[in-house]
Amino acid sequence: MSPKQLEEQYDAVIVGAGAAGLSAALGLLRSPAYEEIAQQGVQPRILVISKLQPLRSHTGSAEGGIAASLGNVEHDDWHWHLFDTIKGSDWLADQDMVEILASQAPATVIGLEHDGVAFSRTQDGHIAQRLFGGHTAEFGKQPVHRTAYAADRIGHQILHSLWQQCVKAGVQFAEEWYVTDLVVETGDDGEQRSRGVVVLDTHSGKVHAVRSRNVLLATGGAGRLFHTTSNSWDLTGDGMSLALEAGLQLEDVEFVQFHPTGLAHTGILLSEAARGEGGRLLNADGEHFMDRYAPGHGDLAARDVVSRSIMAEVDAGRGVADPKDPDGPKDCVWLDLRALGHDVLEGRLPEVCETVRDYAGLDPATDLIPIRPTAHYTMGGIPIMADGNVYEWVDGARRTVDGLFAAGECSCVSVHGANRLGANSLLDACLFGTRAGQAVASRIAAAYAEALGEGLDPTECDDDSPAVDEAAAARSEDIASLLAGAAVSDGDDGQAADMDDDNPYRVMADLGAVMERYAAVRCDHDGLTEALREVSGTLSDRAGALHAHSDTAAYNQEVTAILEARHLVRLAKAVLTASDGREESRGSLYRRDFPQRDDERFLAHSMIDADSMLSWQPVVITAFPPKARAY
Amino acid sequence: MTTADANRMLDVTLRIARFTPKPEKASRRRGGSPFAKKSPFGDSGASSRPGRVRGKRWTQEYRVSVHANDSVLDCLLMIKREQDPSLAFRYSCGHGMCGSDAVAINGTPTLLCTAKVRDWVKPDSPDFTANEGFRPTGQPVDDDAQALDLDALEPGTGLVIDLAALPGFPTQRDLIADVDPMLDQIRRLRPYLEASGELKTTDDGKIDAFEYLQSPEQLARYELLSNCIACGVCEGSCPVYAGGEAFVGPAAMITVSRFLNDSRDSIADDRLDSLMGSDGASACQSVRACSMHCPKGIDVGEELWQTIQKVDAARKARQTADA
Repeated sequence: MSPKQLEEQYDAVIVGAGAAGLSAALGLLRSPAYEEIAQQGVQPRILVISKLQPLRSHTGSAEGGIAASLGNVEHDDWHWHLFDTIKGSDWLADQDMVEILASQAPATVIGLEHDGVAFSRTQDGHIAQRLFGGHTAEFGKQPVHRTAYAADRIGHQILHSLWQQCVKAGVQFAEEWYVTDLVVETGDDGEQRSRGVVVLDTHSGKVHAVRSRNVLLATGGAGRLFHTTSNSWDLTGDGMSLALEAGLQLEDVEFVQFHPTGLAHTGILLSEAARGEGGRLLNADGEHFMDRYAPGHGDLAARDVVSRSIMAEVDAGRGVADPKDPDGPKDCVWLDLRALGHDVLEGRLPEVCETVRDYAGLDPATDLIPIRPTAHYTMGGIPIMADGNVYEWVDGARRTVDGLFAAGECSCVSVHGANRLGANSLLDACLFGTRAGQAVASRIAAAYAEALGEGLDPTECDDDSPAVDEAAAARSEDIASLLAGAAVSDGDDGQAADMDDDNPYRVMADLGAVMERYAAVRCDHDGLTEALREVSGTLSDRAGALHAHSDTAAYNQEVTAILEARHLVRLAKAVLTASDGREESRGSLYRRDFPQRDDERFLAHSMIDADSMLSWQPVVITAFPPKARAY
Repeated sequence: MTTADANRMLDVTLRIARFTPKPEKASRRRGGSPFAKKSPFGDSGASSRPGRVRGKRWTQEYRVSVHANDSVLDCLLMIKREQDPSLAFRYSCGHGMCGSDAVAINGTPTLLCTAKVRDWVKPDSPDFTANEGFRPTGQPVDDDAQALDLDALEPGTGLVIDLAALPGFPTQRDLIADVDPMLDQIRRLRPYLEASGELKTTDDGKIDAFEYLQSPEQLARYELLSNCIACGVCEGSCPVYAGGEAFVGPAAMITVSRFLNDSRDSIADDRLDSLMGSDGASACQSVRACSMHCPKGIDVGEELWQTIQKVDAARKARQTADA
């Protein structure tokens, strides 16, 4: 679905149509401010632009659940959720933001239920809740049933229900349109203002200037920075990279959560339940090594602890090769489910067994399963205020960017800090997405009221800035030159394109390998320096020299992939630089050369821009002063 | 085939039906005098076929060396990286959740990422017709059941997998089909929960539960249907559905069934109504090919049959009431 005709100017453009983008669209359209405008007989012009048809968004792959202290199964209190989230974050989360997250979680989940989500139910018909790692009662005393779920398909349910509600609300989509530029202008006073975006309609291959008074980025994470990831192929950090290119900063991008049990090199998740039911991790010598790293917790230690232990075994030469590729690198360890017995395997771990059979061709009852940590979630991102407004950290203070908003995994309101608690990501996306949409609605309403007060037509285009058109013209030229570089014009001779030269799929694969080698799960200064040298050198050069292998612009996926490769390379530099700058170990970031947390120097958010300028913003602490994070 | 038997490398030829659309400026309709009267049958020429994009069509073969347990998507990604980055196909999550990679493999609609090489390779010889030419109806079959016995093959037998864009929809480029007709049809059938908005209250009028209550048994009546990922495999399998307006299609009907069976929904009559037209329940011929490869395991044909009976019963009840 694409708009038949673009408006001269939009009141709001939302980029991305996963949980955050769709929540923002609904938050906007359902807000009292929007209703007020509609009652005056004017129709704000809103467009949701998405790289994918919305139902294909990666939100649909979320399995576990969404946390909220509903207390449907046992007594719960949002203050406990607050504490758990702060502790999980290794005290890097901004506590005022976590307060919003935890206190408004129940209303968010109820809202999703009213929107149609098929939550699993208790016998008396309430939303069912399950246990999840790190969620406790009475400030860490014992586990609590806090996570609302829909079997193991909560993401699918939320994504489809939100899309359905958007259909009801008449939201206009531009599907399979890829945003290539974020246009931010800086005034003489240093004030920054969002002007719109430039998009590539992948169906026609045409570039469009989309002028908008408000832009909201909800483009998701950047798992494709790493070779092994649970993220879909489309999570190339586009929004974060666009912000960098527009001269803005990213916050805490050095924190990437790795899930310990990805299925070998596929990156596909094997649920934590596999270890919960008695699965054991073994190294090449058959040693049950987790008891050595986490006595008392063993295989069920926290995600980051298990991931680090696996990598330590691999680094010590005790890893195993994926049986599918016996001569390949020995960078996996075994997950042993053989002792569980048929009933437990088929009765309680049906999804795990199916994944292992389908994607590894192994039988969990008789075979050892190769696993390795898989990049799962980017805690950092575009820095935002509580209402989703993007800001810059300048001279020790926050300065907001007028008309620019962000939500979801691409953003960082800092509720996850250095390590996200399970079941908090969908909550973040839906809750802060809705809030951002509401804030945009208020801005539109204020602008309309002002225009009407002056007797003007509020939909009249403010064409005082040519910035978006100029960016679109430059991008058109860029893409034309990528197409002109096609060595062989396809289709005419039916021959495969000439493949002596490079392509973006190779560049992204090689980037993923470098990031995996030097920055996945654990890192140190020397490794990060080497990685930066490769990324800033060879890989940047290669990304800059790419061209398409077909000169047909319509559905030319390679053109999009070239832009994605550039995005990933730019973002990788920021991630590596920020990782190197943080000389401590906290949450998901483990520095071999600085193994301790250092609250003296680094109880602070890293703020980095495209020029690798790094500054530090203090963490907001309200209720819970930092303590050791022990489970 | 057991999984252990498939632990081997295979040399496979992927035979892909490719298509490159003509650039827009070149696709101006040719022929005919600019002064001629408009034909009463619409514009003349092949380009007047709705949904038909003009361009170049050809078949291209790629040889890959892959593991028998690799997915067909793995093969295509390898081709993009190593042989031909211009090959176009949709893919995203890679594990059967996003629904973007429905294509025809050996003529059968299914997802690229869930299709394993071991289950779809066939000998490259013209007289091999097993499982081809006929679409079995009735019970869904397991992919493994159709798989070739690799050990029984003559040494040196060439192996091939045929790929084409999802049938029933216009092809946009290579393996990319335009599934917007399906999504439009779903959108037209009010695919969203319409609850009454009433909450359970206590005897003295206070709200007792903020969510709409629903028992596990009530959930079970539509839970499987709500797992539909709108991939279009059922639509591509249906001999009646052809992307046009004659039949709303199995995917749209499954969406209606999902809400019909949801105890929270309050507009069942309207939903039944929406399937009473000639493009609705009566257009389904119960071929049940739609059940064959549903990646979510929905017995689409059976579900449609249940819904058709409800529509028929509602129609009869109305006729009786009118009489």
